[in-house]
Amino acid sequence: MSYDEAQGYVVLSTLAQPLLAALIILFIPATRKMAIRYVSLFFATLMLGLSVYIFTAYQIGGDSIQMEISWAWVENTAFLGPRGISLHLGIDGIAALMVLLTGIVAFAATLVSWKLDYRPKDFFILFWVLVAGVYGTFFALDLFFWFFFYELAVVPLYLLIGVWGSTRKEYGAMKLTLMLVGGSVLIWIGIFAIFNAAGLHTFDLQQLWAAGADGTIDRNTQKIFFPFFVIGCGVLAALWPFHTWSPDGHMAAPTAVSMVHAGVLMKLGAFGIIRLGIQLLPEGAEFWMPGLMVLGTIGAVYGAAAALTQRDFKLISGYSSVSHMGYVLMGLATMNSIGITGAVLQMFSHGVMTALVFLMIGALYDQAHTRDLRDFGGIAKVMPWWVVCYTIAGLANVGLPGLSGFTAEFHIFVGTFETYPLFGGLAIFAAALAAGYMLRMFSVVFFGPFNPRWKDRLHDITPLEGVAASALIASMVVMGVWWAPFTDRVSHTVTQLVGVTG
Amino acid sequence: MLHLATEAAAHPTVSEGVLWAILAAPFVGWALIVLYVRKLPLVAGWLAAAAVGVACVLSYVVLFNVIAKGGIAVHTHEWFRAGDLVVNFGVRIDGLTAVMLCVVTSVAFLVQVYSNGYMKGDPGIGRYFAHMCLFTTSMIGLVLADNLFMIFIFWELVGLCSYLLIGFWFHKPSAAAAAKKAFIVTRIGDLGLLAALLLIYTRNDGNFDVSAIQAWALNSGTPGYLVTLFALGIFAGAVGKSAQFPLQVWLPDAMEGPTPVSALIHAATMVAAGVYLMARFFPVLEASPDARHVVAWIGAATALIGATIALVQTDFKRVMAYSTVSQLGLMMLGLGALGYVAAIFHLLTHAFFKSLLFLSSGNVNHATNTFDMRLMGGLRKQMPITLVTCVIGSLSLAGVVPLAGFWSKDEILLDAWRDNRGLWVVASLVSAMTAFYMFRAIFLVFFGEYKGGQPVDHHDEDSHFHGDPAHPHEAPLVMWLPLVILAVPAIGAGIFALNHGFRNLIVDALPLEIADQIKSESSFKWGVAIASSAFAAGGILLAWAIYYKQWFSSRSIRMGFAPLTNLFENKWFFDRLYEDFFVKLVLQRGWNRLLELNDKYVVDGVVNGSARVASMASDRLRFIQSGQIQGYGLGIAAGVVAVVIAVYAANPL
Repeated sequence: MSYDEAQGYVVLSTLAQPLLAALIILFIPATRKMAIRYVSLFFATLMLGLSVYIFTAYQIGGDSIQMEISWAWVENTAFLGPRGISLHLGIDGIAALMVLLTGIVAFAATLVSWKLDYRPKDFFILFWVLVAGVYGTFFALDLFFWFFFYELAVVPLYLLIGVWGSTRKEYGAMKLTLMLVGGSVLIWIGIFAIFNAAGLHTFDLQQLWAAGADGTIDRNTQKIFFPFFVIGCGVLAALWPFHTWSPDGHMAAPTAVSMVHAGVLMKLGAFGIIRLGIQLLPEGAEFWMPGLMVLGTIGAVYGAAAALTQRDFKLISGYSSVSHMGYVLMGLATMNSIGITGAVLQMFSHGVMTALVFLMIGALYDQAHTRDLRDFGGIAKVMPWWVVCYTIAGLANVGLPGLSGFTAEFHIFVGTFETYPLFGGLAIFAAALAAGYMLRMFSVVFFGPFNPRWKDRLHDITPLEGVAASALIASMVVMGVWWAPFTDRVSHTVTQLVGVTG
Repeated sequence: MLHLATEAAAHPTVSEGVLWAILAAPFVGWALIVLYVRKLPLVAGWLAAAAVGVACVLSYVVLFNVIAKGGIAVHTHEWFRAGDLVVNFGVRIDGLTAVMLCVVTSVAFLVQVYSNGYMKGDPGIGRYFAHMCLFTTSMIGLVLADNLFMIFIFWELVGLCSYLLIGFWFHKPSAAAAAKKAFIVTRIGDLGLLAALLLIYTRNDGNFDVSAIQAWALNSGTPGYLVTLFALGIFAGAVGKSAQFPLQVWLPDAMEGPTPVSALIHAATMVAAGVYLMARFFPVLEASPDARHVVAWIGAATALIGATIALVQTDFKRVMAYSTVSQLGLMMLGLGALGYVAAIFHLLTHAFFKSLLFLSSGNVNHATNTFDMRLMGGLRKQMPITLVTCVIGSLSLAGVVPLAGFWSKDEILLDAWRDNRGLWVVASLVSAMTAFYMFRAIFLVFFGEYKGGQPVDHHDEDSHFHGDPAHPHEAPLVMWLPLVILAVPAIGAGIFALNHGFRNLIVDALPLEIADQIKSESSFKWGVAIASSAFAAGGILLAWAIYYKQWFSSRSIRMGFAPLTNLFENKWFFDRLYEDFFVKLVLQRGWNRLLELNDKYVVDGVVNGSARVASMASDRLRFIQSGQIQGYGLGIAAGVVAVVIAVYAANPL
């Protein structure tokens, strides 16, 4: 087996780990809760290691797709030609960063779920299936499997929120599922339309990308079906006006699910816009991107403005996510390399930052059983480390230099200013609002007079939560101070995309 | 890597390591305090002072080297590169940097020493010194930076430290609110700076270097409107940080922080960073007359607003805060009138006498447990050293011959006179008011009868006041010695202007053509000097007549000017405008209500409608939903396993 082939098996085994974890937990009796937790932690650590390996082993300046592995599944039958549907996995620079994100967030979420006591067996089975779906989507280079993994990631969400959630969980879960399924239907239609239009009798993404770039998929088809993919994936990426599931869904979801959902799942949507929009339909992208810029900007400003007056921690973070995902969409819509690089960096940055925020909210809610800002005050006195961690997340959110948020937003602003100066100005306005909603929360919750209601009732974060938070904070600081490993990998891929300027 | 920005062969020869050491010393102090000595107040305090002291000594080494050699030296390294974006991390050393370094580190050192007395017994003292060290590091970084990108980064970091230190006593709602206000208001300005940064990236081939931007602005090929836009962008940043109209509202509230913090950050260094930034990019103002007129008149408006509000304050520290706003406005006015040397000279003298004044207000607070001047009076007997140093600071601020403040203010007045008589009138009015409010404060605090101070609230567990306000006393040695040391430059810093020494030093930091032009101007005019002295004397005499001799009652004067007093006491209604109109009415009542309604009825209406359809359909499919989660999980897992097996079966290993 050659070195390159062996790398492919690393990718395959990374995808297999969460499935293996789910399978093993399936055979552990539900009463053996500690065993379930240790198995989960073991696999989470393993996946973190594999993800870091994949990220670091990615060769900057190497092939556009690396660590490839391909197993044909169905070929030369009926309407399918050679390599009709194959389990074709591999990574590019964008996927490499997303895989790292998944590893870190899944690891942190596992640690946080340690204290989950209600049916942990079912929880972890669903959780690992979801994680497998996420990894699969980032790895898949076959349109059929891409969609399969995408759905695999989305479906367990309904149960995870509906069963383990809190505030209005049935409503939140149902709303989220309906909207996401609606999006999936659009993607599904789009996939078959493009499969037909390309006429290659294959679902292989690399062949389809080539067909999109050289005009085999004709211009009009591209223009017609681009919105199917962008809206379909956009629902998951909280594209305005399809974002309304996001605040309710986040409010209802349990801590670990919020972390994975906001941290990683929402990025699947943006990732889908890159894979199925920009890469598959470059001419459609060129035509529609100004529209996406408008929607992204509205989302960025709208989310930030809506977060300003919320009273529930999770609603603030939910709307803040809408705003930050708006930045991601703006970055993608610039269609220049620096803007798209920024969008991908923002996907990572928002992922770790928002996971940390939800971790902290969960740590407080588990003790206080309320998330209303006005119930608190002076928390810094009793939960100093909690406040420090939350503050760091908040400052990354605001885009303070030295943390990952600035790295990403700076790229997006530069990219936007190059093509759409007016929208760049609006994006900066949204950044001012971000300072408003974050600091308002700080001053109400962390500072001010201590609310005596919580005397002796609140305790600082546990060591496990501390470990999880440290992993997330470390990623934010590294990306904020040492940009090169991140920007190099992402821009290596982005500059090769068809239709992307400078 | 080294390149010379000027054609002159002369350049500072101080080694690069020394410059990085100045940046690193307080940072190491910060790290040591955070990691090891957070819980040891005495060690943390003196470690902080020592760390800043090292930076201070090295800064003077650099200053003397620059004085001896002149010119500019840049040491720069590539930090990262992403596509076209190349960002360097480097230091630039020239006259302006050297002067700023010495100002920052000297004041910071004295304030750290002072803090060891003032903050004694505070439960959060470790955190305090850590933040102060981090602030000093960021401020030094801001001054040393050789490119706009780094300036922006340190600019944001000083803002963060300011936030943390204003909110140091976070259990006080007023402090928490003030910290929030300061961060948000300055952040609004910072976004202008960010826009300027983006403009440079897209219009100057991504070259952020200070020299490159200066050359870009002076290049006749650059479109004028771009230079003006850039100038207004960085000025927006300066308006936020330096509390200029219309963003001046945060600085007075920032007085909620500990007094040494106010002395260091909100009087001497960070708030002056805006002036430094404009001076750093002074060629941009030369190139854009529109921009410099904006700068000059915004500065004039700020100076006037600050001075008028200071006239009616009853809080000793807030008099000083509004005075700072006003003096920063005066510096901006000077820059706008092309008074590069005058503005920086005033920045220098102001840093010394204003930090002196703030620290003396700290001493008064230490004795009386209050800043309210109505509860003070007669402290001259108990606090002679504080009285003398405070009077020296006030005389200097008022601009009395031959103290430092006279020379620097006089240069600003002269530049204003040359540029526009309207500016000169405003500046002169402001100096008269400055003299008046400072001596009003001195007479109220140190003369007359003592009114007892603020009784100690023994129920307040967060208070660390240890003395007895009924029997005020002079501050301990660590607290009066820094005042005495600061009094020396407050008296004598005017000597630097002798023989154009200061001018020649800092003008070397500019491109040659501008430097030569500035060197050709005279810097003294008898008429302006005599007029300004007369204004200062008039202000002091009036304060003496009203508050010491009490020939006129202050109450009757207030009544006489009722509409004006009302305007000044309500801070020109800016806070009311921002809070009641923008925040409460526009944002909370209007915009957000609109968003909520939209989400609830328009967008969700569609979703909930489809949900109803779906639930009707699901009634028919209910038998699948057993409610057994295990069943669902098993189903999903079985599906996955089936797919894996299918893949494997189709293509065995």
